[in-house]
Amino acid sequence: MSDSGRPVRVEAGPALAPHLPTSNDAGVVPTIGPDGERKLMTINLGPQHPSTHGVLRLIVTVDGEQIVHVVPDIGYLHRNFEKIVERWSYPGIVPFSDRNDYIAAITNEVAVALAIEKLAGIEVPPRAVHLRVLFSELQRILSHILFYGTYGLDLGAFTPFLYAFREREWGYTLMEKATGARMLYAYNRVGGLRNDVSDEWLADLAKFLDFVEHKAMPEYMGLLIDNEIFRERTIGVGKLTQEQAIAWGAAGPVLRATGIPWDLRKNAPYLCYDQFEFDVPVGTNGDVYDSTMVRMREILESVRIIRQVLKTLPNGPVLAKVRPTLSPAAGDYYSRVEGPRGEVGVFLISDGTTKPYRLKWRAPTFCHLQLTPLMAAGGKIADLIAVVGSYDVIMGECDR
Amino acid sequence: MALLGRIWNTAKSMFVGHSITLREMFTTPITVFYPEEKPPMERGSRSVPVLKVNEGTGLLNCVSCGLCERSCPPSCIKIEQALDAKGDRQSWPEAFELNLSHCMVCNLCVEACPFDALEMADVVELCSYQVQDLIFDKQQLAEIWKTSRSLRVANGERL
Repeated sequence: MSDSGRPVRVEAGPALAPHLPTSNDAGVVPTIGPDGERKLMTINLGPQHPSTHGVLRLIVTVDGEQIVHVVPDIGYLHRNFEKIVERWSYPGIVPFSDRNDYIAAITNEVAVALAIEKLAGIEVPPRAVHLRVLFSELQRILSHILFYGTYGLDLGAFTPFLYAFREREWGYTLMEKATGARMLYAYNRVGGLRNDVSDEWLADLAKFLDFVEHKAMPEYMGLLIDNEIFRERTIGVGKLTQEQAIAWGAAGPVLRATGIPWDLRKNAPYLCYDQFEFDVPVGTNGDVYDSTMVRMREILESVRIIRQVLKTLPNGPVLAKVRPTLSPAAGDYYSRVEGPRGEVGVFLISDGTTKPYRLKWRAPTFCHLQLTPLMAAGGKIADLIAVVGSYDVIMGECDR
Repeated sequence: MALLGRIWNTAKSMFVGHSITLREMFTTPITVFYPEEKPPMERGSRSVPVLKVNEGTGLLNCVSCGLCERSCPPSCIKIEQALDAKGDRQSWPEAFELNLSHCMVCNLCVEACPFDALEMADVVELCSYQVQDLIFDKQQLAEIWKTSRSLRVANGERL
């Protein structure tokens, strides 16, 4: 499988010596010297800190309150996803991938299902393709609403969180009605979707979209985004240039905040996104305020896409006939979809058996966390929270 | 001048924010006090795969073909086929174990079952302090199915 001599799949072998990051990695110096002069100090933020969205440890070197260097320490939520699926048959991988990005689980399912369907040569019925677009966009709305609520919490605003969870509750009830679960849906199957949605459900969804567009979004803007305190806390914080964003592999709203209109739904259309009209919102400065604004405007664009799907939804089956024991042809395929946080990629190698040879998961949070020293250095500790929160960190997909 | 603009913006955002929260004073609360007040589950919610019982005979529908065991990705189902005195295989399970701590409620076992023997229950209060208590045998699974069914009937759902 590997021509260059470098194995793409790691077999059991001698255990690697674990490298546990210590405070020395961040260049620790004693706090105060013997003659009382000021020195750099190293502090740990997390892993059990509410602003780190899960279990992320940040080793921060500070000079007074100014940040000199940040080393993110990841891996607390490691679930061994990539190795476990090497001994699972293909249909089971799709529901298991929910656990990666648990806030937008449908996105993961679509990415994995697209890769398996491509390798196995399965045609997905048009109604299932349209419904996958619908559910991906509904997930994007719900994920951005959660981002809005928790980002307000990070910056010390509690009230917007309650408003965000009002819509989130409604949206999750809609998801539960359609898929039978609130977060880990297990809704996609290889070859389509598990079950169809009813016409009443589609009418409910249209009401939800109207509420989000006409009632919730103005409230969100008035409560937090247009608030002077929020603007002071975010404008000019965590600035990123276009060259830096591309060099460090940023994607999604973090990349679009710098002004690059790169969206896989436009630039490399998958499913049937090329049939729908929508804009790609971009920012100008590349700071955390712009990435927040990009997300807020993406909610409205997603509402627009779902309305078009509702108009053009074809009738028919939602699941293609697939053999229970699936063995795709030998080969590899990289499928990528635009998740709420950025590019979610699945590199799948099949060797012709019923189990995958290797599956590599590309998680946007993993790439964005590497930007933390770049964006936070020079700012205050409170700005570090604003920077880390602006990636919409989901440690489940970072550590997988 | 810039300072005046900032003061104006601050006053304006305070006014806008407070007018939004003030409106909430005149709406009905949406909070549900959970343990005292239990909202009904949505139809089709999944919590645990359970064994269906035939109402006429009172026996399990399961014929222990083992398709659900093979389709389960995390292998949380264990079936033992019943044998009679001569050692011939019978069409009911001697033991059916479900490890809920491994189960990811993906519904693949229900889809694999050709005999309509498995169903997703919507009983969610199954927590336990011991992991061993989450391994259900066939009697427990049938009990959960009955509870789930009676809840659905009380909820006005036509079966």
